[in-house]
Amino acid sequence: MGFSFAAPAALIGLLTLPLIYWLLRVTPPRPREIYFPPTQILRELRPDAPTPSKTPWWLLALRLSLAAALVFAMAGPIWSPSSPLASQAGPTLLIIDDGWPSAPTWDRRLAAAGAVLDEATHAGSTVALAPLSGDAPPQMTDGGQARQRLQALRPQPYLPDRSVAAARLTEFVKAHPGARVVWISDGLAHDDKDAFARALKEAAEAGEKVETLGDEHVTLALAAPINNAKSLSVDVLRASLAGPAQARLSAHDNKGRTLGRVTVDFYDQLRATARFDLPIEVRNDATLLRIEGENSAGAVTLLDSQSTVKRVAIIAGGADDAQPLLSPLHYLEKALSPFSQTRMARQGAAEPALDLLSERPNVVVLADVSLPPGESFDALTKFVEEGGALVRFAGPRLANAADTLLPTRLRRNGRVLGGAMSWETPKSLTDFDSSGPFAGLPASKDVSVQRQVLAEPDPGLAAKTWARLDDGTPLVTAERRGKGMIVLFHVNADTSWSNLPISGLFVDMLKRIIDLSPQSAPASNVEDANAVQASNPDDARSFAPQRTLDGFGALGEPSPLAQPITAGFTGPARAEHPPGFYEAGDRVVAVQTLSANDTLKPFDFAAAGQALRPLQATRLYDFRTPLLALALVALIVDTLMSSLVSGKRGWRGFGAAAGVLTMIFVVLPHNNARAGNDSTSSIATHHREAALKARLAYVVSGDRQADDTARAGLEGLSLALAARTSFAPAEPAAVDPARDELAFYPMLYWPIVAGAPQPSAKTAAKVAAYMKQGGTIIFDTRDALMQRPGDPPTPEGQWLRDFSKNLDLPELEIAPHDHVITKTFYLLDNFVGRYVTGDTWVEALPPETKEGGEARPVRATDSVSAIVITSNDLAGAWAQDKSGQPMYPLTPGGARQREMALRGGVNLVMYTLTGNYKSDQVHVRDLLERLGQ
Amino acid sequence: MSLSGGVDTQWRDPARRALDRSVAAAELAARLPRLVTRAHEIAASVVYGLHGRRRAGVGETFWQYRPFASGEAAARIDWRRSARGDHLYVREREWEAAHNYYLWMDCSSSMGFSSSLASEDKLSRCLTLGLALADVLVRGGERVAALGFTPPASARNIVDRLASALHANADAAATQELPPELGLGSRARVVMISDFLSPPDELAARLKSYAAVGAGGALLMVIDPSEESFPFDGETLFLDTDGGEPFHAGDARQLRQAYAQRYAEHKRAIAAAAQGAGFVFLQHHTDRPAAEGALALTMSLEGVEARR
Repeated sequence: MGFSFAAPAALIGLLTLPLIYWLLRVTPPRPREIYFPPTQILRELRPDAPTPSKTPWWLLALRLSLAAALVFAMAGPIWSPSSPLASQAGPTLLIIDDGWPSAPTWDRRLAAAGAVLDEATHAGSTVALAPLSGDAPPQMTDGGQARQRLQALRPQPYLPDRSVAAARLTEFVKAHPGARVVWISDGLAHDDKDAFARALKEAAEAGEKVETLGDEHVTLALAAPINNAKSLSVDVLRASLAGPAQARLSAHDNKGRTLGRVTVDFYDQLRATARFDLPIEVRNDATLLRIEGENSAGAVTLLDSQSTVKRVAIIAGGADDAQPLLSPLHYLEKALSPFSQTRMARQGAAEPALDLLSERPNVVVLADVSLPPGESFDALTKFVEEGGALVRFAGPRLANAADTLLPTRLRRNGRVLGGAMSWETPKSLTDFDSSGPFAGLPASKDVSVQRQVLAEPDPGLAAKTWARLDDGTPLVTAERRGKGMIVLFHVNADTSWSNLPISGLFVDMLKRIIDLSPQSAPASNVEDANAVQASNPDDARSFAPQRTLDGFGALGEPSPLAQPITAGFTGPARAEHPPGFYEAGDRVVAVQTLSANDTLKPFDFAAAGQALRPLQATRLYDFRTPLLALALVALIVDTLMSSLVSGKRGWRGFGAAAGVLTMIFVVLPHNNARAGNDSTSSIATHHREAALKARLAYVVSGDRQADDTARAGLEGLSLALAARTSFAPAEPAAVDPARDELAFYPMLYWPIVAGAPQPSAKTAAKVAAYMKQGGTIIFDTRDALMQRPGDPPTPEGQWLRDFSKNLDLPELEIAPHDHVITKTFYLLDNFVGRYVTGDTWVEALPPETKEGGEARPVRATDSVSAIVITSNDLAGAWAQDKSGQPMYPLTPGGARQREMALRGGVNLVMYTLTGNYKSDQVHVRDLLERLGQ
Repeated sequence: MSLSGGVDTQWRDPARRALDRSVAAAELAARLPRLVTRAHEIAASVVYGLHGRRRAGVGETFWQYRPFASGEAAARIDWRRSARGDHLYVREREWEAAHNYYLWMDCSSSMGFSSSLASEDKLSRCLTLGLALADVLVRGGERVAALGFTPPASARNIVDRLASALHANADAAATQELPPELGLGSRARVVMISDFLSPPDELAARLKSYAAVGAGGALLMVIDPSEESFPFDGETLFLDTDGGEPFHAGDARQLRQAYAQRYAEHKRAIAAAAQGAGFVFLQHHTDRPAAEGALALTMSLEGVEARR
């Protein structure tokens, strides 16, 4: 118990209190001043009142206590509740264990260390702060500096080397005999062969005053996580049997969401194994396991991609990125991703097979890929021979170019069932063999196959067949080759040949196949890792830290000290390799805080000749702040009261001041939360407007007349659409591709103004993305009258050419007569506007296939042409004023031309909205009839 | 001590205008357009609620048809009515005799006062009422003058005329505690709008001199609510707006009773002075709508007419 003043001399200020008392007595508060016209009448009532001689007693008391509080605050009163402060002049060495075991009780440790520093400060002695992880010898500083350094300390996510600290301790003892040594211990024996314990013992024998502080917290840790096909398990360690009998573990995914919890019982052991019973799909999402309530890096273990399930590489021939729903990649990825890790070739990879094989997949899926002899073929052959599983899907390419990496010989071309030129109906599946790999799966009758590739009826085909159609032809064949196997689906992996890829059966079949594939072990042991490195030069690359744990076990940005690891790094985390995720390309490996075989051993304090003293923050209560706060409050109250006495503001002022005070107390703590709320973005109003109603849009060119015309034109077209079709668009929108989100508009009308500046590359990329995602842009150069064949392009044409260089445009052609765009609503020959001479360009259709035999009246691609180029000034013909009168004359003119222009517009809009719908053969008869007329 | 006396007072010193003409002119100029607009509004609402004179005259309101007397100007014949029968008729309108109304609006320094209980200061209210009354009177066919500043006139833009006259004579108006003594015609009506805080005796003498030449009229006392209820508490120093010494009242609440009595006495003295000279005495509080005051004033002036 002790009460002391830091600056007792300031108490002399109390002598001024009588003076203040006297001054207050003689100067009463000012009266309130009021303007009042009938003052003369008042004056007639009675003479002036005498001024009040006294200040109210409570105001006096308030002001005196204010002054007293200030004086006392100046004097710096300090109260120490526990012990009288150690008054020891010698230097102090403060050794702090700052490895991860300290993290759960870090605050208490800091407080205890702070108390030691305070004592040293009050005793006027110097302090050397030596955190275990410190890389420089401890510096003698005064308490204030040491406290600053102490505040900057954070627990490290690894176990610092205590033998370094032992050497420092020995040095210190030599240099400062009679010093005080305080060690704040984490209670664990580190891997230093008792060097530190010996150093402590020697120091105590050398006459130093050695104290050891620690707490009763029993450290828990996780090690050796295993995620295999059966379950997700991890070992839980505790430092002593006195620790908690149970531990609660949770698994989290990479966004920190909790996937599952499990409670594990130690059963009087130091080590227990926890198993998470989670579905494999959920389990594969787990990236992090932690012991709940134990905030340390040791209580967290990380799961990298290698500890999860099989990796599947998918390669598709001729995949069309622009239309993901038509791409086999899409179906395969969707079907495989729940139970495996899928990998796809990077865009534009020359040899996707080689790239993907270097990532060491368990399974390679080839969707309609023909394999000509070459490097890829050799690599895949080797992959299968060495135990990989190759799953292939048929398709036009495979059907025409068979190779040897197939389970069976194939007949040339496929067969078409149920098509327009076939008598046969689509086939469905028969039940699976009870002994085959698909045994037990329901042979869904919903599955129908329209096309397939046929196997040559070689001997042994039946044995190779895993699934058949109901006419006995094989649907899935497979063959073991070397250590691996080859599986062939006789249909392709998208929906054009069969609806198998969109059935639930597909997922189950793939899952069976993947389960059958050999577990080609990732680099789990050194030998294998070396072998991998030798065979795969790619794996020699280093893994850069991506996200690392801090001492408290929170994943975050890697510390600046973190350095890349090489492949095969397994050792426990160190300062330069903190635990966390390290990545190279797509591969991610985890570095754990503890290695698989680590154990936790308590430190033997008795052997070191030490008695463990509990962590105790000998807090000093400094009354300066509360006194100053008290003085401030008294000042505010005094201001209010004195204005009250003089009757000036009354409650109004009081209310305002009280409001301000309430704001300060109430609002301040909530500031952060409020800021967080504000940051949540809200959808812009105009975006909501744009998204809620379908509407036509035009691109603002900056030329006022062109923009007005475009707006009026689209308004006219919108009216026509609403009157004639079931599509009732809202008001047309003006769009600036540089600023606005384009995704809301199915069609953009873009009048070209030669004088307008070229959009930036970023804008062009945005426009290109819009076109890729299915938007259609109608470029209108409006210069049909100026164009002459053979002439250089008009300024507008040149502008469009310059712009389109950034757009990655497909091949264009003048819209042919059988293009679906001429049939979508009206049957048209061409698209006229104010002029009729210009051509309309659209994306080129693929050359007509002979497959159907007879020429079809309508052709279309599967997608909508992303671009339509015209020069006929369409909007000029559509434009009408408020009274419905056309705004511009037409060339050559006539109501018919205006009507045809509107019909063209309706067709364009219908084309962008319905795509190839009108090319459906359902309409063939009607179309033929009408065309024949 | 009580905390309920939250009444605040403001005083815009009109005498300050005397020091700096440009400031005075600017301030009044800034204020007048608003007052003029409000005066027009109020006048419109008051006129709407008035009735005619029930006498044939030169008014615009229809009074009666009477048979045409030979020798009258043919232009007076109402052909629409006459066409219905064999006789000629003349359409007569209500009688409207033009009086000369002299308005005196007190612009002295005490009028610049307002308390937080009132919606505006007394001067604004006084000018609003005066100008609105002028408008109403002119619409009724009377002639209106600003006492001492303009000759009587019956112009449609009388409000603007009076406002600009007041603006031009802002300094002179600010020093008038009482209406000036002028020769008035016998049909003159004098309307005085003021707070009448000047001694009742002087006012009585002035009113007598008006009555002596046969002029009648009305007095409208504009009262700030705080002047009547005296809602002040605590240690208070009262500052005289008319340039007197400040009055230290001690606890103002103790004065409330006595003040109320004294103020009522003063009011009675003013009313007595008015009645003695044949003037109507009216009160108007600035926390009430201005239209109320304008209507009361107009009606009472009709009463003056009816009595004569």
